[in-house]
Amino acid sequence: MAVIETRDVVKRYETGGETLTALKGIDFAVEPGEFVSIMGPSGSGKTTLLNLLGLLDDPSEGEVLLDGEDVTGLSDKEQTRARKRTIGFVFQNFYLIPTLTARENVEIPALFDRDPTVEERSVDLLERMGLGDRLDHRPDELSGGQKQRVAIARSLINEPRVLLADEPTGNLDRETGRQILDEFVEVTERDVAVIAVTHDELVNEYVDRVVRLVDGYMGEDAPTATGAAGGPPGGEGAAPDPADQVTADAVEAAVTDVVGEESDGDGDEREMPGDGDETEVPGDGDEPDAEPEGEES
Amino acid sequence: MIGGFYRRIPSLYMARRNLSRTKVRSVLAALGIVIGVIAIASLGMFGLTLRYQITESLGDLGNQVLVTPGEDSDGTISERDLREVQAVTGPGTTVVPSKARSTVVSYGRGGGSGGGGGGPGEPSAGGERRIVRGIENPGLIYSAREGTIPDPYRSGALIGPAIAEEYDLGPGDAISINGSSTRVVAVLESDSGFGFMSPSNEIILPNREFQRRGYSQVLVSTPSSTVANETAVALRSELNGRRELVQVQDFSDVADSIGQTFQALNLFLIGIGSISLLVAGVSILNVMLMSTVERREEIGVLRAVGFQKRDVLKIMLSEAVLLGIVGGIAGAVFSLVAGMVINHFIVGDALLAFRPSNFVYVGLAFAFGVGTSLLSGLYPAWKAANERPVEALRS
Repeated sequence: MAVIETRDVVKRYETGGETLTALKGIDFAVEPGEFVSIMGPSGSGKTTLLNLLGLLDDPSEGEVLLDGEDVTGLSDKEQTRARKRTIGFVFQNFYLIPTLTARENVEIPALFDRDPTVEERSVDLLERMGLGDRLDHRPDELSGGQKQRVAIARSLINEPRVLLADEPTGNLDRETGRQILDEFVEVTERDVAVIAVTHDELVNEYVDRVVRLVDGYMGEDAPTATGAAGGPPGGEGAAPDPADQVTADAVEAAVTDVVGEESDGDGDEREMPGDGDETEVPGDGDEPDAEPEGEES
Repeated sequence: MIGGFYRRIPSLYMARRNLSRTKVRSVLAALGIVIGVIAIASLGMFGLTLRYQITESLGDLGNQVLVTPGEDSDGTISERDLREVQAVTGPGTTVVPSKARSTVVSYGRGGGSGGGGGGPGEPSAGGERRIVRGIENPGLIYSAREGTIPDPYRSGALIGPAIAEEYDLGPGDAISINGSSTRVVAVLESDSGFGFMSPSNEIILPNREFQRRGYSQVLVSTPSSTVANETAVALRSELNGRRELVQVQDFSDVADSIGQTFQALNLFLIGIGSISLLVAGVSILNVMLMSTVERREEIGVLRAVGFQKRDVLKIMLSEAVLLGIVGGIAGAVFSLVAGMVINHFIVGDALLAFRPSNFVYVGLAFAFGVGTSLLSGLYPAWKAANERPVEALRS
């Protein structure tokens, strides 16, 4: 059974009287131990999807299921509890707490638990990450890769079933990125699912499956589907396809200002559909997106 | 390394860490509380010390009851009335009846003592009209600065210190009262308070010098103002039936109202002090809000990794309370020092700062300081706790 699943999830944002649909019906499931990457141009709804999967946000429609249990509509308290039990987060900017040592940062999620084994587990995790000699270092005394490994250790302290990573290699050089991805692979070997949202093609060398999000649609659901990216892309199919790339770029050009700002900025400076250039901006009608696509192919 | 103590109170640990991150800012915020606590505590102590000092100088005023002839009397208090007064007053009180007469007094060795120039009974040069009192046993209410007050008191005159100084008189000198020369046996000790019978300008003669029957007034000294008040009430009801034979004055009401006035003054001073605490509260509010904004992402991460809203609330409130406690303790210490200085200069005894009632003010100020911090921390903490992690992590 899928450890985490979305069923026909739609996410709309309402700002300034305008409704923007960031996700337009996503069906997505991840099995335990699976390593999945979610690729897509900025503004395609990746981060929104990750927030929904991480119970940081509620979908406008559809369901999010953890272990087959619908967790949408739970109270903040229950969601927080479910999040703590099942989900670990790794962020692009690491988000370690600067005043705390590596070990304390790893212990943070369990800080209020009065669990005497936490200290032991945190040391174990850090040793597993090869940071046995960095236990009492502060984040500013650690390199980027080390910080990310501390962050991974932190995400694992509560023994989650799913690890959500937002651009985990985004702030790392290539070599360090590979080390981090190796860590993820190792994590999946312990039956923890890893879902990484990324721009980085390097990630796709490590994952079991690549899922592409374009303009709020996933994989083959996207109206841009031309066969180039047909079907759920497998590990191999994930290799950058020129046509796909063009598609992505074209769409990105069209949507960045719309959805991109929507999900990444605070929405104030977002350009409204129609404000953009002559390219028709994707609304709920999907045709405009398909057009450049059709011409390309 | 998280110590055992902090392990038990993790929010306090986080709070301390967060505060030490921006040391200068935290110290300044705590300084506001320090100043506020000092202001409240030391103004409170100042008022208290002032009150203490005034009460001291009021002396026995509040403890005395003065009985004078009433409207329906013959202008004196009879022996019978006096006995009733004595019957009403309980143990520990002294009843001192006195007579008074307006007469001509002259001082000075040359002037009156010989009485030679003028005829007998004639006032000599420099004589003046004065009230002279007759008291049976002045030793009960007065003490002597020079000479001794005879007991029993049968002869000689007692003079107040002001007269003694004005005319340069001392024991052994003679004054002329109504023409007859009398030797001064003692100069009375000046009284720091404002009793009914301040000695400074008195001239006192033995009772037997007065032929007149009945007394012009009876002074009742009681151990405390409460007893004085009760005695006054009892005297009024016992001695005055339908006719007002005596008038009973007591200053316990006055003493009480002085006490109340100072209570009000104290409240006013503390109110002024509270303003500085208010300012301190605003500064803590500001610091906490800034730190909420600065740590937005961090708080978002905490929420993402499973901190409940109330966990975040606890951490933020702990920060505010920690500022308040640290500031409050420092403030309390400084206020005691300030209290010692105040007491040193007003009462002349620095150690009086450690009177229990002063600790009430210090404790009050401390509690106010911590309370202010807690209140100021509420809004920022609430704001931090209710920030949606999605928004916080969006940057």
